[in-house]
Amino acid sequence: MTIQITKAGLQTTIQAGPRIGLRHLGVPTSGAADPLSLALANRLVGNALQAAALEVTLYGVSLRFGAAMHFALTGATARAELNGQAITVHKTMAAVAGDELHVAAFDAGARVYVAFAGGLVADDVLGSTSTYLPAGFGGYLGRALLKNDRLQTRSISMQPEVIQTPEDYQPLVSRTWALRACHAPETSLLADPGRVFDTNLSVGSRADRMGMQLEGEKIDILSNGRMCSAPVFPGTIQCPEDGQLFILSVDAQTTGGYPRVGQIARVDRHLLGQIRPGDKLRLLWRDEKTATDELRAKVEYWRAWLPTISSVI
Amino acid sequence: MPCNADRASLIRSSGDDLLSVDGAGPADCQALAEQLRSTGDWLECVAGIDSVVVQFDTTTLDTETARHRIEEELRICRAASDLVQAPLVEVPVLYGGEFGPDLDDVCEQVGLTPDELIELHTGCEYRVDMLGFTPGFAYVGDLDDRLNVPRLSEPRVRVAAGSIGIADGRTGIYALAGPGGWQLIGRTAMALFEPQSEEPFVLRAGMRVRFTAIDQQHFVAVTK
Repeated sequence: MTIQITKAGLQTTIQAGPRIGLRHLGVPTSGAADPLSLALANRLVGNALQAAALEVTLYGVSLRFGAAMHFALTGATARAELNGQAITVHKTMAAVAGDELHVAAFDAGARVYVAFAGGLVADDVLGSTSTYLPAGFGGYLGRALLKNDRLQTRSISMQPEVIQTPEDYQPLVSRTWALRACHAPETSLLADPGRVFDTNLSVGSRADRMGMQLEGEKIDILSNGRMCSAPVFPGTIQCPEDGQLFILSVDAQTTGGYPRVGQIARVDRHLLGQIRPGDKLRLLWRDEKTATDELRAKVEYWRAWLPTISSVI
Repeated sequence: MPCNADRASLIRSSGDDLLSVDGAGPADCQALAEQLRSTGDWLECVAGIDSVVVQFDTTTLDTETARHRIEEELRICRAASDLVQAPLVEVPVLYGGEFGPDLDDVCEQVGLTPDELIELHTGCEYRVDMLGFTPGFAYVGDLDDRLNVPRLSEPRVRVAAGSIGIADGRTGIYALAGPGGWQLIGRTAMALFEPQSEEPFVLRAGMRVRFTAIDQQHFVAVTK
């Protein structure tokens, strides 16, 4: 069961579940930048929710199926074609040997997930098959895919049934985001927290798996620039002395020396993977208890379609 | 500080699923993190230089319960001798040349000759204060005050695995290739990452480290 990459696009990697419990060794969370969309794609082809799939960044990918296979697309709003015919996202699709899948540029959102029945075969390193690009391990030879790479899927005993994600469970992807966020240890160093929370922010030109730079007027921080390295996590909002906020994402380092002025709440952390350069953003301040209640409500909502959602987001 | 009866006031929120516990320096933080990790209650226990951050699963545990549990777990006295017995690892380094491109700059900044710098750097025993930043990256402290230099103002996009840099009073050891802003003075021939091993990183927080200078021939021999 092979799949041949015929056009690799900007950055296409194999991603699966996160690496958990290794941050004290400097090993980042890694895994799908938008784990909810990965789970939704896997659900449509009968895989475990965190099975290895393709994560396609910002614009297209093209591939050729070497055998009959079911697959599904989720995530960013993108036009996709199978042999030139438009296909439906959020639906199990069937391809036959020789079929060509082409994903065009995205209208909104940063990442499309393409899952294949059985899941992709990938290098298992430090508890996950996800590609971690900065150190070059996991996935396919630890790197982004290139033209002519050939991927294998795991064999399956039964073809998945053709299903569609119910409309209520198809996440909205737009160019405007509201992320719930809590205070962090150095929030008190902000001269004016109102410049960070509950105000309009813009995403700068850098937004990748490491994190995203926000842009705008300098934010004043009462810091001498000599903070001790402290643990950081996906969703940590840093404010370096230059006053430009930076939100860490799944591949971010495990410790950092910049003031931590906020933390994206777990309930909305999965959305970071769909935010692209130029998007608008608001950080909605929540106290810890409210953020926890909202996470539990979200988990409850999703459980009907994704039974193991609590291990996904 | 073997007992933790008064830790309670030093636990702060770091997000909805993160609590930060203040520590009294790197060794204390490592011991706290190790103690919390050993309970198996937490998703992550990460030590910084002066704090430990614990991540917990808010679908089953709320912040207040987590805070009480941390207090409870830290009430138990720690064995203060744990870290003293840490193993000593010898790290052979080829200083300068193409592997230590910043050595000459550093020497100029601190007013030492390369030989003097190498003698200072290899002249004492250090401790791995923490692993962090990137997989297996070791923060090794503390450097002689005469070797205090800042990080590069423009970090390198890619630094080779095994690179040895200094900055902000510490030595940094790059277990894997990646971006980096420390001033590179050499490279070790040691394999620092064994992906299939139970303990994938050779260096661990708390370990004692001594650097030794090797020459090109020795370096090639070790890496073969």
